[in-house]
Amino acid sequence: MEGCPRNICPKLLDLIPQGREWYHEENNNTDQEKKLELRLGPPGGYEEDRSAKKNTETRNNNIMKEQTEISSPSKNHLSPCNKANVSHISQKRTAPGPVVGWPPVRSFRKNLASTSSSKLGNESSHVSHINKNGDGVTQVEPKREGMFVKINMDSVPIGRKIDLNAYNSYEQLSFAVDKLFRGLLAAQRDTSSGEREEKPIIGLLDGKGEFTLTYEDNEGDKMLVGDVPWQMFISSVKRLRVIKSSEISSALRFGCRRR
Amino acid sequence: MSEDEEDQSPPPSDLRSQQQQQRPPCSPNKSRNCISSSSQTFPDHVLENVLENVLQFLESRTDRNAASLVCKLWWKVEGLTRSEVFIGNCYALSPTRLTQRFKRVRSLLLKGKPRFADFNLMPPDWGANFAPWVSTMAKAYPWLEKVDLKRIFVSDDDLALLAHSFPGFKELILVCCEGFGTSGIAVVANKCRKLKVLDLIESEVTDDEVDWISCFPEDVTCLESLAFDCVEAPINFKALEALVIRSPFLRKLRLNRFVSLEEVHRLLLGAPQLTSLGTGSFKHDNQSEQEQEPDYAAAFRACKSVVCLSGFRELMPEYLPAILPVCANLTSLNFSYANISPDMFKPIIHTCHKLQVFWALDSICDEGLQAVAATCKELRELRIFPFDPREDSEGPVSELGLQAISEGCRKLESVLYFCQRMTNAALIAMSHNCPELTVFRLCIMGRHRPDHVTGKAMDEGFGAIVKNCKKLTRLAVSGLLTDQAFRYMGEYGKLIRTLSVAFAGDSDMALRHVLEGCPRLQKLEIRDSPFGDVALRSGMHRYYNMRFVWMSACSLSMGCCKDVARAMPNLVVEVIGSDDDDENREFVETLYMYRSLDGPRKDAPQFVTIL
Repeated sequence: MEGCPRNICPKLLDLIPQGREWYHEENNNTDQEKKLELRLGPPGGYEEDRSAKKNTETRNNNIMKEQTEISSPSKNHLSPCNKANVSHISQKRTAPGPVVGWPPVRSFRKNLASTSSSKLGNESSHVSHINKNGDGVTQVEPKREGMFVKINMDSVPIGRKIDLNAYNSYEQLSFAVDKLFRGLLAAQRDTSSGEREEKPIIGLLDGKGEFTLTYEDNEGDKMLVGDVPWQMFISSVKRLRVIKSSEISSALRFGCRRR
Repeated sequence: MSEDEEDQSPPPSDLRSQQQQQRPPCSPNKSRNCISSSSQTFPDHVLENVLENVLQFLESRTDRNAASLVCKLWWKVEGLTRSEVFIGNCYALSPTRLTQRFKRVRSLLLKGKPRFADFNLMPPDWGANFAPWVSTMAKAYPWLEKVDLKRIFVSDDDLALLAHSFPGFKELILVCCEGFGTSGIAVVANKCRKLKVLDLIESEVTDDEVDWISCFPEDVTCLESLAFDCVEAPINFKALEALVIRSPFLRKLRLNRFVSLEEVHRLLLGAPQLTSLGTGSFKHDNQSEQEQEPDYAAAFRACKSVVCLSGFRELMPEYLPAILPVCANLTSLNFSYANISPDMFKPIIHTCHKLQVFWALDSICDEGLQAVAATCKELRELRIFPFDPREDSEGPVSELGLQAISEGCRKLESVLYFCQRMTNAALIAMSHNCPELTVFRLCIMGRHRPDHVTGKAMDEGFGAIVKNCKKLTRLAVSGLLTDQAFRYMGEYGKLIRTLSVAFAGDSDMALRHVLEGCPRLQKLEIRDSPFGDVALRSGMHRYYNMRFVWMSACSLSMGCCKDVARAMPNLVVEVIGSDDDDENREFVETLYMYRSLDGPRKDAPQFVTIL
């Protein structure tokens, strides 16, 4: 994926067209420009594509949901709120980033790469794509594309999304969480003092800070971040939550919904 | 997990009028208050007895629903004689209503969460709890024998209550359920002495580190079917082996991946009467003490009755040929957990002439599908799952495989196919070659992807399917689709009961075509499509006749949803948001609405707003 880290400067991100936004043009798109557009099919006249034009607003909403959860600025930039304004987009490339629940495969079918035996009897070229490394062994690899999980923080009403594949360690993650929420937290606490004092958010992993980082795993259990090896954490984490350290025991107790 | 037939609950109005009627006690000589004038000649109770003796033979749900609508007497007697109840939506009625109408229920089939919840489109703890049902039935139906649940939250306490309340309990089937663990299963195993069926299918079962296999009673069991392939916990193999030996009626056994190939081998030697086997992990432990490898093929050869084979988790493909002795008899083969290349696959499938149901991963490639088409002339159901379920992964199967299947397997009835590229031509061919299709579910994994050869939308392909497959009742669409595709669905899809739409359509007209054109539509699930208020309003004449409507990430406004809720009081309209919902959001995130005889549910969590 692109090198631009998605959790920093979301507004800047909005201004940089990437992925399908290149093709998202205003209404005065001429035929000439159309022919120069990159497409999936063979080049040539696409008169019938007028019928394939879609209301992009919903999709743009989805794209924005994937990238950040800050609503108003990004929304207004890319998607005109007017429902009637159907942008004339003929071909669509698939949007960058994974979408929740798509493709519609149940979770126990998704872990095949890690649980199934790695060796194939005959390595024909048909299945060479399954062998991620050339030595004939499929590895348990983290997905290369963005692995976005929601992250919320106590006392901050707006949640964010964070790309866990951008980090290799808990320290990096902790640092990213600080950068993500420092400003928002200060904004929340800003009362009548008029001054926004931005305190760094530290001690997320050792219980010593004001906040602690927790996560919900694929079984719905709430856990403290940092106990298991990083790769194991990556493979089971579903969402993150930054809670007040004073509330650790109650949050974890009520978090488990089984038994 | 085949789809259901028609819903059992009648339209709300009937039941309301029945509620108003209170039957007064009367002397036997006087005929009771009954609409049917024919009862004037005979005392009512005689007619009732006759009817009871006749109606008890009626098995089909649709027949029973029809019979119950004849008159009040038939309603009552049918209610007394119905022993198997199907409830397609657990919130369509309350458990009390069930026990009031049907007095002698032996078997309950209950479905809970909507299907899209399987794909994380719904926050957890939405509902669909078994608890109120089991506690109500515990008092009303002590003779209950069978419970079949799908997408229901079942706790260990619920299972314990079940085990203790129903002494004659025989069959427990949990499909896509969650909320319980091995400790709950242990109680069922231990207390239900007449247990014939314990099937845990695609459910989430927590590992409570309980040796539940050892909890079965010591003497000969009644077990006919034991399926625990979804239980992600090690089991006591010695206890399992002993259990199999003392279960002479055992026909179906599905093991989990913690049972090794050697252990399967031993089980097979002790249970040659099996008809359905789900192997555990299909790999040989090279570190084992035995000098010689067990003769796996011999064990399979001894199982002359096996017709259904599944499992193959953690497959070592070089051991696959061990199953060859049973292949000629197989009617059902599930390779959907096994990463098998075409070269390993073809020798196996070439012997499976009787195959009717085939599930596999797309790792067998188009080449493997061509082999299936060449051999499996009796094929009825095909499911191809993606090994790498991402939008931009390489797709080893394509229109070539589907086309081959359509040409070779003319009796095909049900298709589920995940791929990365498809053409209209292949779908058109399938629509002509396979007229028996009742279920067609195609998932082109890249969103909005057109026909990869012509670049056009997939309208004509799906149009041909709905037009030519006259028996089609279930359809799931994907790829680039315009309103035209939906126009076809509305025009030709007269038998469609279940429709699944994602990332498709251009405008409200698309949904309108479907709502106005498909009279049998029962279950509608839509995500990420540009359908708004106009479309929603256009279906108001249908919603009472449907089981549910799901629309997420569409363009519905809260105001319109409220209007619908106001106009249709027996419709429960749920709006579901996520925890961090932005209150300024223009559109409703998720709408889930369904008819209900008993009003909105009381157990809705915080993130659900019932309008």
